[in-house]
Amino acid sequence: MSDLSAGAATLPDDVLISVRNLKKYFPIQAGWLRRKVGDVKAIDDVSLDIRKGETMGLVGESGSGKSTVARLMLRAYSLTGGSILFRQSDGSVIDVSNLTDRQMRSLRREMQMIFQDPYSSLNPRMNLLELVGEPLVIHGVGTQAEIRDRVAELLEVVGLRPEFLNRYPHAFSGGQRQRIGIARALALNPSFIAADEAVSALDVSVAAQNINLLQDLQEKFGLTYLFITHDLGMVEHIADRVGVMYLGRLLEVAPTEQLFSKPLHPYTEALMAAVPQPDPRGNRTRKRVPLKGEIANAANPPAGCAFHPRCPYAQPRCSAEVPALRAVEGGRQVRCHFAEELSLAGAVA
Amino acid sequence: MTNSTMPAERLLDLENVQVHFPMREGLVKAVNGVSYHVNKGEVLGIVGESGSGKSITARAIMRLLPKRAVDAGGTIRFRPRDGEEIELSALSRNSRAIRQVRGNHIGMIFQEPMTALSPVHTIGTQIMRTIQLHKGLSRSAARERAIDLLAKVRLPRPAELVDAYPHQLSGGMRQRAMIALAISCDPSLLIADEPTTALDVTTEAQILDLLKQLQAELGMAIIFITHNFGVVADIADRVSVMYLGRILETASVDDIFYAPKHPYTQALLRSIPRLGVDQGRRLPTIPGMVPDPFSVPQGCEFHPRCSHARAGLCDVKAPPERRFGSQMSRCHIADQFVQEPVHV
Repeated sequence: MSDLSAGAATLPDDVLISVRNLKKYFPIQAGWLRRKVGDVKAIDDVSLDIRKGETMGLVGESGSGKSTVARLMLRAYSLTGGSILFRQSDGSVIDVSNLTDRQMRSLRREMQMIFQDPYSSLNPRMNLLELVGEPLVIHGVGTQAEIRDRVAELLEVVGLRPEFLNRYPHAFSGGQRQRIGIARALALNPSFIAADEAVSALDVSVAAQNINLLQDLQEKFGLTYLFITHDLGMVEHIADRVGVMYLGRLLEVAPTEQLFSKPLHPYTEALMAAVPQPDPRGNRTRKRVPLKGEIANAANPPAGCAFHPRCPYAQPRCSAEVPALRAVEGGRQVRCHFAEELSLAGAVA
Repeated sequence: MTNSTMPAERLLDLENVQVHFPMREGLVKAVNGVSYHVNKGEVLGIVGESGSGKSITARAIMRLLPKRAVDAGGTIRFRPRDGEEIELSALSRNSRAIRQVRGNHIGMIFQEPMTALSPVHTIGTQIMRTIQLHKGLSRSAARERAIDLLAKVRLPRPAELVDAYPHQLSGGMRQRAMIALAISCDPSLLIADEPTTALDVTTEAQILDLLKQLQAELGMAIIFITHNFGVVADIADRVSVMYLGRILETASVDDIFYAPKHPYTQALLRSIPRLGVDQGRRLPTIPGMVPDPFSVPQGCEFHPRCSHARAGLCDVKAPPERRFGSQMSRCHIADQFVQEPVHV
């Protein structure tokens, strides 16, 4: 598979995966003949570099396309446009976007995903040995005895008792099921894991335990995470850098501290202001003007900047001209015409 | 009717409420002696992890317990803004009296509006039926009031949306429609069971804002059930923390967040990542997990996970309710343990 465009693609040394001008349009079909009448632009021109060993956070509201980005990276969906460059464990760089399914399958050893819902993502008829061992079986790694040993080891790594091998998912709590999903993702020693709302469905005390586990595993195995969430407190805690998505577009990318202390995009500011903090006195003094309206229809996005109908700082130019995601000082990127002129409030002093 | 009357400002009073579920594996005491009260016009936040019994307690108030639940005792008294005191715990699920209370004096909103709204009737029809039933208004007057209500919950184009079906609305708009239905008869109490959990943060902020405004405008009290400490900090006046069917601590919202007197409250607050605090470090966690409801620990139900637990005391004797002014903590050593700063 390395004969495919591997030579042509290059990546900066510290980058593990690079998404360039990613597009995913879902066709809108209508009528008896199911003719295509338009597109839902689920992802429109998203570019993102994820560095080796870092946690890249991706935040946004439902329908912003954050999960779709992860699914495209792992090629669970086919791309409409753009490219995805990935550095394999042998150091060679491969363009994931034009691999066949068969070629992709072997690459999935290195790229894995953890899902939000620990109830629907585990087959209730498979025990832990089968669930966690399935990736090993599919990839033909090891004999039965070796797989058994490896699964027991994986269960220990995620903090479950190895003697649970023969139990079924129903016997476990939500937090434990999430750990089973993590063990399954780790089975083939991946370098990259996309965690899609991995702790969102869990109670606070369980979420804290699992977040700590993810951080431990990252240190131990040198993992790179794409951490997708709508929980800003969580992303600030775990991510090194954060991307903010809205209506299929990336509006801002910045190192976590800078993003939270000085957002450059009005949507980032609004998002931070909207989250109630576990701090009653702070909530009383903080000025919070709720954002007007709702996220626009992705099948019929507003002209110009996708956020302009809800933006308190919008000017005529915003409805006429689509802003580009451009680099600004401090290694940050922002998709706003007026980023330099606005002085926006962060969530952290 | 009990002889003792409620204080004048009291709207709702729960005393030692018990709800049990007989299961094959044993008896589950989902609500195990819960006492709390709600004063007129205040917002009581109820927080707790899943399975702590916060929703079942609310359903006991509405007499909407699941069929297999056993009402195992306790009293629930309610005095609407204008009316006689009613002992809700004495009413059966389908009695005429409780149907007078539901929808009329007590409104309820849920996490998922589609479970409360009928998919085959328009928003307007559903609101009109409630108003016609309880207020005896004519069809046209009820329709006018329905449109007013939709405007009050700030739905756009209320005159048009009154004829919309729930599926035609977005999640946030449905939540607004459900709030309009719940407040249609000007209730004294609104029970809100995780009403913003399924919403996006910007929509959540809008709904919280709306609830606060309606509460001030209509002078109704709210029981706000949530597992989100940020939301409860934003909306509640007082907060009760539940664990395994019991209330472990009740206090003003500031005391809960800045001076908690129960180790569980402290530990929960510490395990939430806070903006600008401890970035990248490990979160302090509560060891172990919530025990399964068939084998609730002896003594204090939290002791196996508590870092302050004392052998011979916490694992033997159930702690009594200890009061410190308006703050209540169900912990043996509530007054002793060193208060570690929660809010660093």
